[in-house]
Amino acid sequence: MTAQVSNIMATKQVRYEALVKALHTDLYRYAYWLTHDKQVSEDLVQETFLRAWRALDSLKDEKAAKSWLITILRRENARRFERKRFEMSEYEEASVMDTQSTSTEQEIENHWLREKIAQLPPEYSEPLVLQILGGYSGEDIATMLNLNKNTVMTRLFRARNQLKEALDEQPISRGRYNG
Amino acid sequence: MDDLQFRRKIYADPNGKDEDLLAALQADPAKQDFANELNKLDDRLREAMKVSVPDGLSEKLILRQTFASHQQKKRKSRVHLALAASVAIIAGLAVNYLQFSSSYSNLGDYALAHVYHEQDLFSNSDNAQVSLTRLNQKMSTFDGSFKQSMGELISADYCRFDGMKSLHLVYKGITDTVTVFVVPNRDDIDFRDSFNDSKLHGEAIGFKHANVIVVADKNESLTKWQRAINNNISWST
Repeated sequence: MTAQVSNIMATKQVRYEALVKALHTDLYRYAYWLTHDKQVSEDLVQETFLRAWRALDSLKDEKAAKSWLITILRRENARRFERKRFEMSEYEEASVMDTQSTSTEQEIENHWLREKIAQLPPEYSEPLVLQILGGYSGEDIATMLNLNKNTVMTRLFRARNQLKEALDEQPISRGRYNG
Repeated sequence: MDDLQFRRKIYADPNGKDEDLLAALQADPAKQDFANELNKLDDRLREAMKVSVPDGLSEKLILRQTFASHQQKKRKSRVHLALAASVAIIAGLAVNYLQFSSSYSNLGDYALAHVYHEQDLFSNSDNAQVSLTRLNQKMSTFDGSFKQSMGELISADYCRFDGMKSLHLVYKGITDTVTVFVVPNRDDIDFRDSFNDSKLHGEAIGFKHANVIVVADKNESLTKWQRAINNNISWST
C-alpha cells in the first residue's frame, strides 16, 4: 500500500520534472511578454508550476500540457493584479528590458524589436506571442483567451500591422532589412 | 478575395492554410513575395521574443516543488503522530476501563469466577498459617475486625475483586476450602445474597461498610458460616 503510494508519487515526480524541463522556457517567455518583468515572470512561473504539481493528476493529455500551464499562468497573473493593482506605463515596461552594452547586430535588432513588441497594447501582443512563440492557431488562441476567433484574427492583424509600420519607419532596420 | 481581405488575412496569420488565402497566393507572385516578407518578419519577431531564461530556472522549479511536497509530507506525518497519540490514549483508557471496571454484572458471578481461578492455589490439606491478629491487621483496611477465629485460616490476602481492593480469606472446610471475600460496597454491581452453580454455592451478607461473601462447595453449610461471620465481625465506625 505504502509502496504503491510512493510509487505513484515517484511517477508523479518524474512527470513533473519532465514537464518542467520541456516547458519552463516557453512558459517563462510567455510570462515575460505578459508582464515585461523578469522577477515577476520568474515568480509567476514558480507559482504556476507549484499549482500544476498539485493539480497534476487532472492533466490527462500531455499534448495539452502547454496550454494547460499557460491557462494556469494567466490566472496567476490576473490574481497578481487583484492583489496589488500597481500600474506600469508602457514606457517603463520597455525600459525594464535587458540592455546589453556590448551586443552583436542581431542583439541590437532583437532589443529594438523587443521594445516595439512591448509597446504594443497587451491585447495585441498576447495573441501575437501565443501565435509566433507558442505556435498556436487562431482557434487555439481564441479558446485560451476566451475570445471569439474573429476578434483574435483582428488583433493579430493589428499587432503585425503596427510592428511592420514601426519597422518600415526605422531607417537602420529598414536598411538592414533591404540590404 | 480582394486586396483588403488578403491583407487582413495575411497579416493575421502569414502561415495561414485557409483555402482562399492559398488560392490568392497561387494566383499572384507579388502576394507571395509579401507573404514571404511577413514570414521573415515573424522569424525576426520569434528571435526577439526568445528572451533569455534565468540560469537554473528548471532546477529551481524542481527544488521548490520538492520542498513544498516535503513540507506537505511533514504536515502529514504530524497528523500521523497525532493520530498515533490519540490511539495510544484511547488504548490506555480502554485498558484502564477493562481492568478497573466490572466485567461481571453481579457479585455472585464474580465471586464464583474468582474462586475457580484460584482453586489450584489452595488445598484443604494446607496447614493453617494466618493468626487472628494478622487477619485483623488486614481487616483494619475495611474498618472491621473479627472477635475470634472462625476456623483454620489458610490464607488472608488482599486481592482485586472485580477491580476493588478486597480481602480474600481461605478457610479450611469440611471437604474443600471455604472462601470468604470482604468487598467494599459498590453501587454499580448487582448485590445478590445467594448464588450457585453445579459445584459451588455462595451467600453474601451486606454490611454497612462492606459485603462479606462466602463461597464453598455444597457440603458446607453456608448458614453456619453466615452465623459465624455475623457473630464475629464488628465494624469500628
